[in-house]
Amino acid sequence: MKTSSSLIKFDNGIDLECGVRLDSFELMVETYGELNEDKSNGILVCHAFSGNHHAAGALENKKDIGWWDSIIGPDKAVDTNKYFVVCSNNLGGCSGSSGPLSTNPISKKPYGKDFPSVSVVDWVNSQKQLSDYFGIKKWHMVLGGSLGGMQALQWSISFPESLNKAGIFAAAAKSSTQNIAMNEVGREAIRKDKNFIDGNYLLHDVKPKNGLKTARMLGHITYSSEAIMDEKFGRNFQDITSKIDRDVDYQVENYLQYKGEKFSDIFDANSYILMTKAMDGYDASCKADGDLEQALSPVKAKLLLVGFDSDWLYPPKRSKEIQLAAMNVNVACSCVILEGKQGHDSFLFASDRYVNILKAFIEAE
Amino acid sequence: MNNQKANIIKNWIPNESKVIDFGCGDGSLLKNLIDQKGVHGYGVEIDHAKIQECVHKGISIIEKDIDEGIEDFKSSNFDVAIMVSSIQCLKEPHIALRKMLNLSKQCIVTLPNLGFWKCRIDLALGKMPVTPNLPSSWYETKNLHLCTIKDFEGLCESEGFLINERFYLNDKGGKNILSSAMPNTFASEGVYLLARK
Repeated sequence: MKTSSSLIKFDNGIDLECGVRLDSFELMVETYGELNEDKSNGILVCHAFSGNHHAAGALENKKDIGWWDSIIGPDKAVDTNKYFVVCSNNLGGCSGSSGPLSTNPISKKPYGKDFPSVSVVDWVNSQKQLSDYFGIKKWHMVLGGSLGGMQALQWSISFPESLNKAGIFAAAAKSSTQNIAMNEVGREAIRKDKNFIDGNYLLHDVKPKNGLKTARMLGHITYSSEAIMDEKFGRNFQDITSKIDRDVDYQVENYLQYKGEKFSDIFDANSYILMTKAMDGYDASCKADGDLEQALSPVKAKLLLVGFDSDWLYPPKRSKEIQLAAMNVNVACSCVILEGKQGHDSFLFASDRYVNILKAFIEAE
Repeated sequence: MNNQKANIIKNWIPNESKVIDFGCGDGSLLKNLIDQKGVHGYGVEIDHAKIQECVHKGISIIEKDIDEGIEDFKSSNFDVAIMVSSIQCLKEPHIALRKMLNLSKQCIVTLPNLGFWKCRIDLALGKMPVTPNLPSSWYETKNLHLCTIKDFEGLCESEGFLINERFYLNDKGGKNILSSAMPNTFASEGVYLLARK
């Protein structure tokens, strides 16, 4: 499936939770499939922390396959023969939507570290404008994994009338202390990179690549599981001819070096900090004084919570917490725990059971 | 599930009540209750294929091993907890019953009667019983704690569970004079509405 991206400008602007107003903003968007006449077949996909709008298919002249291509496409779990699927790069991201790399209309220079703080609620509000742009009054479903799952949950809270179903995978109603701690190590690695220059690196035409790389290496460990690392790399030594760094001994080291290096080429450090801060700051219950049940009481969408047994970053118990709170206030909600040895990343992989459950949920009344 | 049993259960469930069905299978009963009585229904199941069927029916389903504990559900304030033909599959049926009655005002429990005359004949012939209510052979069955009507009612007595209503069904799923008069021998299945004392 070939896809193309488009940049959509929203002149109504947005009032962010941090108190700042953006008088206009842009979202980089991809769509797959056709919107039907009564605009009832829309599915909104929300991306995780380092994802972007390119969820499925291959871009023109590029081999770059979308991050959820195993799930989205013709005859796949999210079937683009039947549904009109939309994915946008989150506000504050670095893949084309308004963010730290965009030009600040006042200073005429890139925002950099001055791009305002964004939150999951802000993303959902910006995506609501995107639904209005397409004329979609009610999404058939909003779904996502990890930070994307948090957005799907927030959609059901913020706009109860605007979606039929929410798919919340490998997510939580709020980040745990441990999640925040892990993210802070990543941010600290970036901040202590000599090229970070207090977030002003764009003005000096440098990038804090070393910091970003270290942050990503740690990230990869947290997204993975002990079992899959053992299976993929064991204690095997890296072949001397393909070592990325001469200090590398084991294959797992080489893998992390490679992934970290690749990520540091494409991701923006200020965006990394913004996105992880948004993740840390999310708490579905914060507008209900910490009472998740009360926060969920207006929800009308049917919820599907999926947890993965090898995920130690957002373990299944975090999905169960949401399910229980939703059930306590009579919200229709299911909770399924899937086997997925890829740890937190399991939500990205199309295991048979995952696909079947997802299809059943999408197609159910 | 046969119509007679489904109707008995349906009649015990108040309209628009909050119901949890432990071991809900493919969700047929819950779907029925949601459609016809407007209940807020939730199912608990462990079988993957059945969970998928529930999701497909649009039913709220929780993947959970009941033996691992159901205390969490207490905060949901259920009106009725249901357990159809599953109690004998649990590791500790008496504890599960206590917990069910702790999280819900009323419980509906159905169970196969090992005292049913056809079971007795099978046993007298030296074989494990296989009947419509106990369809699996000994090596395939999930039943861990089979009991008779007498055993079960004895447990309710000693645990202090109130039996508010009961029906004894024959192996055609209906009621007749014999199954009502001498249930421990002529009922194939017991259907109970339990409550806390």
